[in-house]
Amino acid sequence: MTNRPAKLAGLWEMMRADRWRFGYALAFLVVAACLLYLVPLIPQAVIDGVLGDQPERVTDTSRWIIDLMGGREHVAERLWIPLIWITIIAGLAGIATYGRQRWSAIASQNTGKRVRDRLQNHVQRIEMNRFDELDSGDLLQRCTSDVDTTQNFLSMQAVEIGRAVVMFLVPLPIMFATDWRMSIAAIWLIPGILWFSLHYFGRVRSVFREKDEAEGRLTSGVTENLVGIRVVRAFNRQDFEIDRFRGFNDEHRALDDRLYRIFARFWGASDLLCFMQQASVILVGAWLLATDRILVGEFYFFFAAVGMFLWPVRMMGRILSELGKATVAVERLEEILALPIEQDPPDAEISIPTDGRLEIRDLVFSHAEDAPVLRGINLDIAAGETIAIVGPSGGGKSTLVNLLLRFYDRDGGSIRFGGVDIESMPRHALRTRIAAVLQQPFLFSRTIRENIQLAAPTADQAMVETATIEACIHDSIERFDAGYDTKVGERGVTLSGGQRQRVAIAQALLQDPDVLILDDALSAVDTGTEQSILEAIHDRRGRHTTLIIAHRLSTLKEADRIIVLAEGVIAQQGTHQSLRDAPGLYRRLWEIQAAVENDGDDPSKADSGGAP
Amino acid sequence: MSEHFEENESDFSPRRVDWSLWRRIVGHLRPYPWPVTTMIVCGLILAAVEVLLPLVTAWIIDEAIGPGRASRIGMLGGIYAVMLLIFSLLVWRFITAAGTLATRVAFDLRGTCFARLQSLPFGYFDVRSTGWLVARVTSDVTKVTGLLPWFLLDIGWGAAMLVGIFVAMMLVDLQLGLAVSVIVPPMAIATWWFKRRMLESSRRIRKSNSRITASYTETIAGVRTTRMLAREEASAAEFGEISSEMRLWTIRNAVQSATYLPIVMSLGSIGVGIALWAGGIQFQNQTGLSLGMLIAFMQYAVLFSQPIQELAQRFVDLQSAQAAAERVQELIEETPTIRDSPDVAARISAETAAPTPGLAPDGGGKTIHTVTFESVGHAYVAEERVLDDVSFELSRGTSIALVGATGSGKTTIAGLLARWYEPSEGRILVDGVDYRQRGLDWWQSQFGVVQQVPHLFSGTIRDNVRYGRLDADDEAILGALRRVRAAEFVIQLEGGLDFEVGEGGCHLSQGQRQLISLARAFLADPQIFIMDEATSSVDAETEATIQTAVDEILRDRIAVVIAHRLSTIRRADLILVLDQGKVIERGSHGELMAAKGRYRTLYLDQFVNEEEARLLG
Repeated sequence: MTNRPAKLAGLWEMMRADRWRFGYALAFLVVAACLLYLVPLIPQAVIDGVLGDQPERVTDTSRWIIDLMGGREHVAERLWIPLIWITIIAGLAGIATYGRQRWSAIASQNTGKRVRDRLQNHVQRIEMNRFDELDSGDLLQRCTSDVDTTQNFLSMQAVEIGRAVVMFLVPLPIMFATDWRMSIAAIWLIPGILWFSLHYFGRVRSVFREKDEAEGRLTSGVTENLVGIRVVRAFNRQDFEIDRFRGFNDEHRALDDRLYRIFARFWGASDLLCFMQQASVILVGAWLLATDRILVGEFYFFFAAVGMFLWPVRMMGRILSELGKATVAVERLEEILALPIEQDPPDAEISIPTDGRLEIRDLVFSHAEDAPVLRGINLDIAAGETIAIVGPSGGGKSTLVNLLLRFYDRDGGSIRFGGVDIESMPRHALRTRIAAVLQQPFLFSRTIRENIQLAAPTADQAMVETATIEACIHDSIERFDAGYDTKVGERGVTLSGGQRQRVAIAQALLQDPDVLILDDALSAVDTGTEQSILEAIHDRRGRHTTLIIAHRLSTLKEADRIIVLAEGVIAQQGTHQSLRDAPGLYRRLWEIQAAVENDGDDPSKADSGGAP
Repeated sequence: MSEHFEENESDFSPRRVDWSLWRRIVGHLRPYPWPVTTMIVCGLILAAVEVLLPLVTAWIIDEAIGPGRASRIGMLGGIYAVMLLIFSLLVWRFITAAGTLATRVAFDLRGTCFARLQSLPFGYFDVRSTGWLVARVTSDVTKVTGLLPWFLLDIGWGAAMLVGIFVAMMLVDLQLGLAVSVIVPPMAIATWWFKRRMLESSRRIRKSNSRITASYTETIAGVRTTRMLAREEASAAEFGEISSEMRLWTIRNAVQSATYLPIVMSLGSIGVGIALWAGGIQFQNQTGLSLGMLIAFMQYAVLFSQPIQELAQRFVDLQSAQAAAERVQELIEETPTIRDSPDVAARISAETAAPTPGLAPDGGGKTIHTVTFESVGHAYVAEERVLDDVSFELSRGTSIALVGATGSGKTTIAGLLARWYEPSEGRILVDGVDYRQRGLDWWQSQFGVVQQVPHLFSGTIRDNVRYGRLDADDEAILGALRRVRAAEFVIQLEGGLDFEVGEGGCHLSQGQRQLISLARAFLADPQIFIMDEATSSVDAETEATIQTAVDEILRDRIAVVIAHRLSTIRRADLILVLDQGKVIERGSHGELMAAKGRYRTLYLDQFVNEEEARLLG
């Protein structure tokens, strides 16, 4: 709470562009409040100045209103005139209220949209190493419920607070000008009402938290039961589970019931306070009426006015107590927006690579403080060459891909793409020239065709089909009821891991990049299909520089050159032939295959290549 | 994760109030006649107090300005104060009653839904995601039960209030009362007209909101893909369209309410003007209408809008909670398709009443000697046969390995055996008797199941192992852990048996989880054992430990293994090779290798896989 001004400054920053609209809303609010209080002033004037028998005692305001309507005699003959005036003023108040709500909705929704858009655009550009550290559930929560909380604050709470303040302040001058004793009687409990709600909702918060936690336990209890439903059935533990759930259920019920009881006390007590305020107006009013110090119309005005500001003020106490939530939400949004995003060098330095040649020099990289993952890689890949990279997990294969795509930036050394250092290229230009397919490719929830076309929005159906045929997925797609228009991820149609991989490969092939990277992208595809895809890529030889990261020997066969990457360095490199002849990882892989092919009866009985 | 954000399309489609559904929902209130009565009575008294207050105010005013000059003001003030006290007490009372009602009915519905889920067949779960089902038991129930008491209250209160105001006005002054009531029809029409439109726009807001959440989910999960395709700008533009839609509908909804509320308020003010006009004339003509009563009529004009607005709001709530109510009611009314037939149930109750020593609770034999699949075929969905004409026999002390590609029918065989599903064709016999002639509960208690991805519940290791036999003491639990070679690592954990395994067992390694689940199965001492082997590899040492544990468990039982590991496959007494639901090869490992068929190819592929994984994993 100490640096609260700073937090609200962040909110103001987001609201700035709509400050005029917020201003209109505020202006309309004041106008509406003034007009709304004019409405009970008319009956006051009529009751005292026209119907009453002491017209000389009426307030200046009443006299002014009567004069406006044509004077006492005139109105007395035509009592429909006040009705017309009330209708007109109520109508005007209605229009002003409409204006207030409309402008505040537009202003707060504009702000909300701006926050949402900015957040979405920011999230997708956060530097990858920072992004990887974030918890995606928490991030999603910030983007959704924290934005909703902020939005709610702007569109409801801020407006309600403003309304309560204005509604309370506007009638004060008229009230005090009329009678100070009545005025005191009308407002003396207000601080108490405010304090009571503020205090109460402040205290209730801990019960709310407890209830949320109980609800969390209830939810995870059900979730765990359903996730483990096979275990439950396997051990025939349904009754045990029902008993256990009753525990969560009962705990939740008890807390929920407690909340209701607390609310019952709050609403009961605060209704009593509010009615006491009204009662004090009536009783003090009755005494002043009886002692001839006020008139009936004045009494009516006070009574009506209290009814108009009492409830907004009571709401305000509640809203003020929830203000903390909004500040926390804004703060959590600010934290996301403060994360650094990927920045490209200024335009002047942009140079465009000429071809798909890659030169990697002394490349070093480590995650934060950890031991280096890459410890000096030197590698030249000619444009159009096909390279296979193999090695144990943790050897640095995927890190190399991340560096090539500039998801991470190297610690030392350099990567040149077509003769240009990739750090002097805009990421956009770099990434449109590289297509990478990952082991678990992500598909968007749109149709299969749209997913593939994301790589080349202008591609027609024929081009898409060429790519899907090469990726061996065309036939599978055609077999879906909706074919290429099948939506991915909707209930009913879910693609298998292998199908996803092949769709992603089709997407990459359609992109027709300078560099094509398959990072274990065939792991869920059966061997036969894998061979057809590799052959299709092989037939495109020369069109792309191709990097294939593989976990099985079968994937490596089509490569011009094979790199063995282990412990952050290139342990071996060469052709299929040369590596097979030298001792090392590649040869051991090859020997497994050979054992199967030569001694196929039961290789496990033979020595399986001398693996340590 | 995405399943939590699945759109419930039915939440967004317009609908009429389905009264028969709500009658069934209201039926859940039956066990609580007392709070229900409290709510309705409170509503009625509240309305009465609210109707009477303006009259009391009027008497006080008339008393103050009348000739008596305040002699009875003290008494009237006292009456007023008592009414306020009654009002506050009633507010306190009815919210308490609402709480009792809402929380108890929610408790009942949750319990019923949960129990129902425990008895529904797996087919039900196969087509529904966990997140979707969880929402039925949690948020849908909350939504429906949160609404019920207020609905009851407002039906009582709102109707009584409307009638009360009318009656009070008519009794005081018929002509004036009718004049003021002129504002009611336009108020009701405006309410009906606007609420319908606001219902629609708020539905659209919720729809946009769920699209925004889905879009954020995609932005976060697909962040690498978006960058690789360099389509940050395109995706920002797409998101902008969705957030614009949200803005559009929210503003539209706000404008509707910005039009509606001023109209209702202005109508109220016009009512005040009418009272002033018609009442003023009567006052001038000295027909007996006092100034106090005139003011009371002006208050009534303002009061009218409250019950009208509240009643309308309740119907809107009813409509927006209807989809949730439908889903809850549907779940409660779902009947399990797999259950004991009437004569089996009769036998069980006879046996429960007078147990025969040496027999199972369903009156059959306790020991299972053989299980036979007799031309079993199965289709989960009509016309889509996943298993076709499968026959084999299992006897005590033997094991069978099921081998084949994903989707070849291995898991279906296991599911049919455990009677999680029943075969659509053929029979499964237990010692020569169709298993549908045996008690479902008894049959399913004879199984030990170890899954590919072992599922542990959050809680301690003791809790998890004891799940196999609820009355087991620490001695027995440790014994089971020792038998599966898990005791050593458990003892080394902080707290030993009291070690918290975390959600889904996340504080343990994959291999450790597997061992705990084996100990759990061992403790249950089942006659039939089904094991779905993990495809993912564990390190060689753990693999060896698990293998020993499995051997220990399988001894003297009937075992069915959905096999992936070569070591398990080789050990099986009988291997069935499945392809697209058919058994294409059967025999022992030696026989099948010699036959040089599909088995050999699968075996060799797996051999290469395991070896490559060992080198590159």
